[in-house]
Amino acid sequence: MRATGVADRASSIYEPVGVSSRYRRPPSGVDPDATKKWTRRIWPLLRAHRIAFFGAIALSFVSLIFQVQVPYLLNQAIDKSLQHHTVPLHYYVTLVIILAVGGLITGFLARWLLFRTAYDFEFDLRNLIYEHLTAMSFSFYDRVQSGQLISRANSDIRSVQMYSTFAPLILVQCAIGVIAFIFMLSISVPLALIAMAVMPLLFWTGVRMRKVMFPISWVIQSRMADVATIVDENINGVRVVKSFAQERREINQLADASDSLSWAYIQDADLRARFTPIIQNLPQLGLVLVLLFGGAMVINGHLGVGAILAFNAYLLMLQAPFMMLGMLVMLGQRAAASADRIFEVLDERPDIVERPGAVDLENVDGRIRFEDVTFHYGENPPILEHLNLEVEPGETVAVVGRTGSGKSTLARLLLRFYDVDAGRIAIDGHDVRDLTLPSLRAQVGVVLDEPFLFSTTIGENIAYGRPGAARDEIIAAATAANAHGFITNLPDGYDTVVGERGYTLSGGQRQRIAIARTLLVNPPILVLDDATSAIDVHVEAEIHQALEHLLEGRTTVIIAHRLSTISLADRVVLLDDGAITATGTHVELLETCPAYAEVLAHVADLPSEAL
Amino acid sequence: MGWGGGGFGGAMPMASSQSNAANGLPFAGIPSELQEGVDKIVAAEPERTPSDLSFTMTPNNDERRRLTLGRLLLEHPGLMSWSAFLVVAVAVATQLGPALVALAINKGMSPGHLSFPVVAAASGAYLVTVVVGSLAQRSQVRASGRLASKVMHHLRIRVFTHLQRLGLDFYTDEKAGVVMTRMTSDVDNLQQLLQDGLSQFALQGLTMVVITVILFWMSPTLALLTVAIVVPPLFILSLWFHRASERGYEAVRDGIAGVLSDLSESLHGVRVVAAHNRQVHNTLHHRNVVGEYRDANVLTGRINAIYGPGSQAIGVIGQAVLLGVGGDMVLNHHLSLGALVAFFLYLGRFFQPIQLLVQQYNALQQSQSSIIKLRGLLETEPMVTDAPDAIDLPAVEGAITLHEVTFGYDATRPVLHDISLDIAAGETIALVGPTGGGKSTLAKLITRFYDPLAGEVAIDGHDLRSVHLDSLRRQLGVVPQEPFLFAGTIRQNLAYARPDASDAEIDDAVDRVGLSELIESLPQGLDTVVHERGQTLSAGERQLLALGRAFLAHPRVLVLDEATSSLDLRSETAVERALDALLEQRTAILIAHRLSTAERADRIVVIDGGRIIEIGTHDDLVAAEGRYADMFATWENAGSTPA
Repeated sequence: MRATGVADRASSIYEPVGVSSRYRRPPSGVDPDATKKWTRRIWPLLRAHRIAFFGAIALSFVSLIFQVQVPYLLNQAIDKSLQHHTVPLHYYVTLVIILAVGGLITGFLARWLLFRTAYDFEFDLRNLIYEHLTAMSFSFYDRVQSGQLISRANSDIRSVQMYSTFAPLILVQCAIGVIAFIFMLSISVPLALIAMAVMPLLFWTGVRMRKVMFPISWVIQSRMADVATIVDENINGVRVVKSFAQERREINQLADASDSLSWAYIQDADLRARFTPIIQNLPQLGLVLVLLFGGAMVINGHLGVGAILAFNAYLLMLQAPFMMLGMLVMLGQRAAASADRIFEVLDERPDIVERPGAVDLENVDGRIRFEDVTFHYGENPPILEHLNLEVEPGETVAVVGRTGSGKSTLARLLLRFYDVDAGRIAIDGHDVRDLTLPSLRAQVGVVLDEPFLFSTTIGENIAYGRPGAARDEIIAAATAANAHGFITNLPDGYDTVVGERGYTLSGGQRQRIAIARTLLVNPPILVLDDATSAIDVHVEAEIHQALEHLLEGRTTVIIAHRLSTISLADRVVLLDDGAITATGTHVELLETCPAYAEVLAHVADLPSEAL
Repeated sequence: MGWGGGGFGGAMPMASSQSNAANGLPFAGIPSELQEGVDKIVAAEPERTPSDLSFTMTPNNDERRRLTLGRLLLEHPGLMSWSAFLVVAVAVATQLGPALVALAINKGMSPGHLSFPVVAAASGAYLVTVVVGSLAQRSQVRASGRLASKVMHHLRIRVFTHLQRLGLDFYTDEKAGVVMTRMTSDVDNLQQLLQDGLSQFALQGLTMVVITVILFWMSPTLALLTVAIVVPPLFILSLWFHRASERGYEAVRDGIAGVLSDLSESLHGVRVVAAHNRQVHNTLHHRNVVGEYRDANVLTGRINAIYGPGSQAIGVIGQAVLLGVGGDMVLNHHLSLGALVAFFLYLGRFFQPIQLLVQQYNALQQSQSSIIKLRGLLETEPMVTDAPDAIDLPAVEGAITLHEVTFGYDATRPVLHDISLDIAAGETIALVGPTGGGKSTLAKLITRFYDPLAGEVAIDGHDLRSVHLDSLRRQLGVVPQEPFLFAGTIRQNLAYARPDASDAEIDDAVDRVGLSELIESLPQGLDTVVHERGQTLSAGERQLLALGRAFLAHPRVLVLDEATSSLDLRSETAVERALDALLEQRTAILIAHRLSTAERADRIVVIDGGRIIEIGTHDDLVAAEGRYADMFATWENAGSTPA
């Protein structure tokens, strides 16, 4: 049944440390068969909560039955106790009180169970999607905008949840409408038909209203976002606005945006003005008809006065189901569209998967071989073509090349973020595609060019790859990365929480934390992908001293364009046009390879703050 | 920013979201099920003439008026009194029905009083109240919608104009979020209040009064009983519900924010997650975060599960009591049957007003606090203002004089001490020195983002404080360290300072700063839309755009804060070439982070500790073997051989 998401991995050394979940796993996945209708595909999730779910529906039904009885009893009481004195009044009073209490208890239980089901369902769906996303490959993330993914994950899950759990409830309410109608018929067939005359109109108006109201509220939302964008730009770009004295232009731009927002608000008001009075007053119109025709029937002796009261109550009771029936149609349409988008994600298969029988990479010597590797991103032309490169165990190799030459791609392929199109990459003779992903990524440590930090403490960020690490190990790693000094100067030291996505730290500080993060894992193979580009040269020099010691006996690939970084390497290779065009020591290449000198020219430059 | 998409201004929000969809990206654009409806609405939108408001540093009397809810409403007294009249009409017309039913029963359907004409007349009158009530309600919604729109449009512009007056001191990092909230949620709160909240509050209050009056007129005893039995429990229940659910929704909001930010981090940091094998760990963590959100939801669910059936039960108990007591009164001929029926009908009508009143009261309180916050913002005085006798700065040559300037962001802790410096017209000056030494601050005084605490900054002999700010800034060009791009096309960004620039001028600027290659490589050329503040462009390209923008502004004085982010070789060369074009024939102050940039200046000023330490040409300073010479020596070493 499980179609999506990573399995809780069994291999013991890669078990997560330091976190356990208080909550159970989603008991079921969605139906993997993409040809089925979305409601069928989502059903396994709901079935997991079937007891609460059907219990809720049954109890709602009971509570509504209680509710429907009340007007009928009032009608009877007026006729039998007040007009014809055949039944004592207290009999009806007692019955009504019993109905009140019964309705309260069943109503509460029904809703409570239903809400629980709804939120458990949402919990399952969110976790399934998250698990699925974690399993996706980078080619997926290259294609998809994460911002859109998040906003979809938010609203689409909600709309599917709403429909899946509230649609049955609405249907129960509609069933009650039928029962109320039967009660009305039992009092008087012609009057019931007359009173119901306005209901189809109510339904139709409700449907029409939603059809126009949702687009207009979307227009309002999007125009509010436009106003917010202008304000946001004027806050973040305040210097540019003021420098070029463009205040007046910005004000007019805001005024235009506000103008079109105001227009949308007025459209919204006009649409509400058209529909709200009708929806609120149609049941009143029904009552006018009941009064007129019912009155005539009372005068002719065909009907008791109490019927007028009962019909009024039933009309009000019917109002909700008729409105909701319209809502159901609309919710269904939205949920179907949302479900499509959710399945669009869930049906994506990861490109990078472990082969059956993949083995763990263990006892690494660290020999890396790129054999005749060709690779391209998405629709782009190949970035690497027939590339060959061998790195000896314990060797440090620097890869040099101009921007866009494919340096970082080497790192991404080695970690199997992507698979090669042709050729193979081997570590100690094992094709990386024959290895388990966690073991590969545990043995190959990488410091990425973009030092992404998570909004948790600095200590936890450094321990990201080894959540169980002791504080002194963290400090040792931070010291090696020359980060210990500035961390201890922060208000809470290692417990300082990194600001929104790490932006409160400088680029260089973030890079140093990222280096510490990888050093802590202590991988036998290390890849530094332009890892020190934002660090001051003299700080970099200190990191290098520490690194030189750490790199001993470790296979290291350094991707860099600073001379000072290149100096760490035993050997330098020049990457150009998707292949290695030269290899040798820095000095050799400078002498023999003009292209190398050109790439290096001007590369190193010292910030004037350095001293 | 939601799905709105920016657009240069709000003129074409749809266009930008459609372009997302056109890129073939999944999960983008308008939800497909709404597309048709949205198209229809937008098609009906009239052409508007672009706004043409003016901007003055000094607020006028209208803008100085204290912001209160009453003043906002009275901006349009006609609309306001028309809405108020309609609210009363709706409250009365919609509540007459049950009384007419009572009349029909008593005078037309009771034994001894059987009369169809009476029933017909009562039904007719009922129909009239329904029609009149509906029409009044329709006009009322239209009127308050218009009132709200007009008032809020005006207020948005007023607040935004004031934001433009406030100086850089106001726009600190911490305040950015707060300012955003003022212009978005606080303004939206007021919009909701004016559009719907106030009239609902009045309408529901009036409805309760009307019903109570009718009930007392029919039977004071029973009226008292009904009100006593229904109103207090329902009020208490509603108040409890609003308090409890507000706490609950706060937990839900925190919960969903937690879920989304955890998801967002996992997505943005997806490479780090994969590189460090954190998938399983993160999945468990996410399960906890989603679990907390679920728990918050279940809690509010329980509150809702009590409120709905609870208020229903109060209603049914009320009916039981009415039946018992009222029925007894009917049996004893103290009450007519028609009146009892009317009581039953009115009983149901008490509920909505009480529930809505409690709800609207909360909204009212929120809007009141929004008004106070907005008032606070409007009453914040800008630090840098035009002097009352300020003149327009005539076209300048660009000679800048700093005379014994002292300045600190905090008056007690100066960061610049007693700086005197003469910059000749057309000269290029490089400011170098350690971070925090005062280079950038000095530049901010020259552009008058701040005024000195003591001393004077003058351009061509005019003290900066004696001229109109905009006349000064029109002759200055500033290129900040991080180039800021606005949502819109490359053309709009280039022509930011001079929207009227001709195509020839723009082409010239593109050419001179070396952007031609980039522009040619883009299918839509200059009209390519810059997404997400230009993140789709490289750092070097963004910088060239910022330089092009300054170039097109033809400033007499250029202040440039060199970017520290590392560029690759080709971009670096391109930026340097653009800089050469930009520096020609104008006074320039460069805040240099690389000594290669400093080298090209006519004179270099070394600043440290808020003082000028050395000043002179590159050769002079190297020869003097001072601080600059040291810096240069280290730089040369690092640059030519591996360290």
